Order: sequence, then C-alpha cells, then structure tokens
Amino acid sequence: MKFYLHQYLSLISFLIIPLVIFWNPSWLSLMGYQAYWPIFWLLPWALIHGPFKSMLVGFLLGFILDTINADFYTQIPGLMICGFWFGKIGRLNQFNNRPLHFGLTGAIGSLICGVIYFCQMVVKLLLENSPLWLFSYGVQNIFAQVFLTSLLAPVFCKWLYFWFSKKYKLKI
Amino acid sequence: MVKFRRLSTSRWWNNRKSWIIILFFLILLIVRLSKTFIFRDVYYFITKPFWPGEYQQEILRKSINQELNIKLNQLEKDNLRLRQLLDLQNFSEANKLNSSVISRNTGSWWKKILLNKGSQNGVSTGDAVIGPGGLIGIVENTSKLTSSVQLLTAPNSKVGVWNQRANLHGLLIGVGTKTPKLFFYSKNADIQIGDYILSSPASTILPPNIPIGIIQSIDNESKPNTIATVQLTAKQEAIDWVQIFRMRF
Repeated sequence: MKFYLHQYLSLISFLIIPLVIFWNPSWLSLMGYQAYWPIFWLLPWALIHGPFKSMLVGFLLGFILDTINADFYTQIPGLMICGFWFGKIGRLNQFNNRPLHFGLTGAIGSLICGVIYFCQMVVKLLLENSPLWLFSYGVQNIFAQVFLTSLLAPVFCKWLYFWFSKKYKLKI
Repeated sequence: MVKFRRLSTSRWWNNRKSWIIILFFLILLIVRLSKTFIFRDVYYFITKPFWPGEYQQEILRKSINQELNIKLNQLEKDNLRLRQLLDLQNFSEANKLNSSVISRNTGSWWKKILLNKGSQNGVSTGDAVIGPGGLIGIVENTSKLTSSVQLLTAPNSKVGVWNQRANLHGLLIGVGTKTPKLFFYSKNADIQIGDYILSSPASTILPPNIPIGIIQSIDNESKPNTIATVQLTAKQEAIDWVQIFRMRF
C-alpha cells in the first residue's frame, strides 16, 4: 500500500489541485483572496523533473484549470513559463531547500501567472474600448495572491518536495 | 445631696412608639419623593399574568399577516393577468428550485459559486440565481449534478436592470469589485443615491422585479452616459442557500 502511495503520489496530489480550488478554504484566504494553488504543486514537481517535462505538465495543469473556470482568458502561458523556469532552477542545482527560497520562488511564479492573466484582461478591454475599471481590482488581486502564495509556499512546497524526492529516490 | 438620675426608658430613642412614628413619616417621604414608582412597579408585577397584550398581540399579528397574504396573492394574480395581457414572461413557484452553495470563489479572478443542483434537476444555462437580499448571478454552465453561477460582480457579467423610481432602464456591469457599475443610456438621467435597482419588468432573461441593489454613488463627470456605483443587496460572500429560477418560456 505504501509502495503504491509513493508510486502515485504525484498523480494523486495533481488531481487534488482542482478540488482544493473548488474547496477554497476560507481559513487559508485573506479577505476572500486565495493563494495560487497550482504553484504549490508545480514548483516541487518541476524542481525534480526538469524544465521540459514541467512545461508540458504546466500546459496540462493550465488546461484543466481553464476548463474549470470556463473563462475568456487562459492560465496556460503563465504555468508553462513557471514550469520551465522552476525546472531550469532544479536542473542547474541553483535551488537549496530553504523555506525562504520556496516562498520567494513561489511568489515570483504567482506574480508571473497573475500578470499574464491580467494582461489578457487589459488587452480585451482595450480592444473593446471599455474603461479600465478593472485595473485597481487586478493589481489588488495580484498582490493578495502573491502575498498568500509566498506565505504558504514554504509549508506546502517543502512538504510535497520531500515526498516527491522520496518517491524519485525509490524509483532510482 | 441626692443625685437625680433619669431612667433610661424615659429617653425618646428608647421609646418604640417614637421610632414607629419616624418610620411612618419616612415612608411618606419616600412615597412622595419617588412619585409612587414602587406602587406602580408592584402593580406591574401583580397584574402581569392578567394582561390582555401578549395573546391579543399574537392574534393581531396573525390577522395582519393574513391580510397581507391575501393582498399579496391578489397583487400577484393581478400582476400575472397584466403580464399575460402584455405577453410578458411569467414565473410561478413551480419554477423555483432551492439549492445550497457547495463552493464559493468570490475573492479572486473568478467570481463564481457552485451549486448542488444540475441539469438532472432541470437547471439550465441562463437561469437566474437569487439569494437572501436579491439577485446574485446567472447560471453559466451545468453538469449533471452541479451548476456554476457567474456572480454579478464578475468582470464579464452584464445584466439589464431597472430604476423603479425614475422608471429608467440601465445596464449593470461587473468590474471585479463588490460594487458593480450601472450604465444609464442617457446623460443627466434622473437618478439619486439610495434608489433601488430591480430586474427589468420587461426582461426576458431575468425574472421581473427582483431586487438587485441600491445606488451608492453617481459619477456626474462621465460622458456620454450616466454611470452609478451599485451596492448589491445580497451578500455573495456569506450566502449558503439560494433559489434557482428556471427560465421556461
């Protein structure tokens, strides 16, 4: 049983992400804003599996999240960039497993995804000649998301990294 | 020399009668100064079980409710008859469906809630969702068991509304914040802060006359339309139960 759990831990935790997004626990949110959950999974996974695999997984993750939210905008580019970057850091051995490092990397990843998503909104509004009322809302949203992600990343990412690396070692 | 010594009983404070007289006057003084509040309060407690109020109040309340229900039914019937005459959309209790909120996402990019009723229960895309306080959103898509609702605060939300006092139609647009923007098609529209915003009585998309919000501020500088900020009456972040209005034509 334990062996199987290790074997499929990546898959199980991957499938849990949409459920956590639906759940949206209020005790882990700040004034209704929640952290960017996909980063918590993508960062530790990418650190172990490298840039190209992670970019593909980023695409898959973004695709699932876009399907959930059924929106005009997409999260795929942000997650693909993050996947590639996280994987690159892992491959170049530039990452030490300190909580601060997890927090900072998670925050930058969340910022990248948030900014790309917001830029799509702004472009759509400009194309429609609509007033940019969303500007303050978008900036506020990005900041809240980055703050929460950086706060929670050391806990979730470090824990998942520990489990993923354990599984990886078993496989070898 | 003989010493004269007074007997202790001869002093006034040792006399019981004198104390009774003092006490009597003291009571009179208290009664005078208190303006008989003691008597009134004592009377209050003694007569409390025999008051007609409690029971009669209940009867009165029931009869007022009955009267109001009769009036409401009559008005609903009139409304229905008039709407049929005008060939407008009709709604009945049979079209309402109670549902609970199983997921709430009101504070991030996506302003959505997830309900525990889906296409299996007859919910379809475009159905109106009403919570305590008024309209909260429109069903965006459904699965067999659940339905996703786009809230009025969502950036893509656009709903036609009506200002009852000024008899003006407008467009309510979500901008991501808790207070959506309301567009009136004319400059210098006769709107005031505190005006109620309802769903349009002539709407074919929403149920008629559903409360939506109250005008919070008006931007008089805007051109060429009048733009107002609306405070929604339904608190989206705290709603657990909603009603889905199944739109049937």
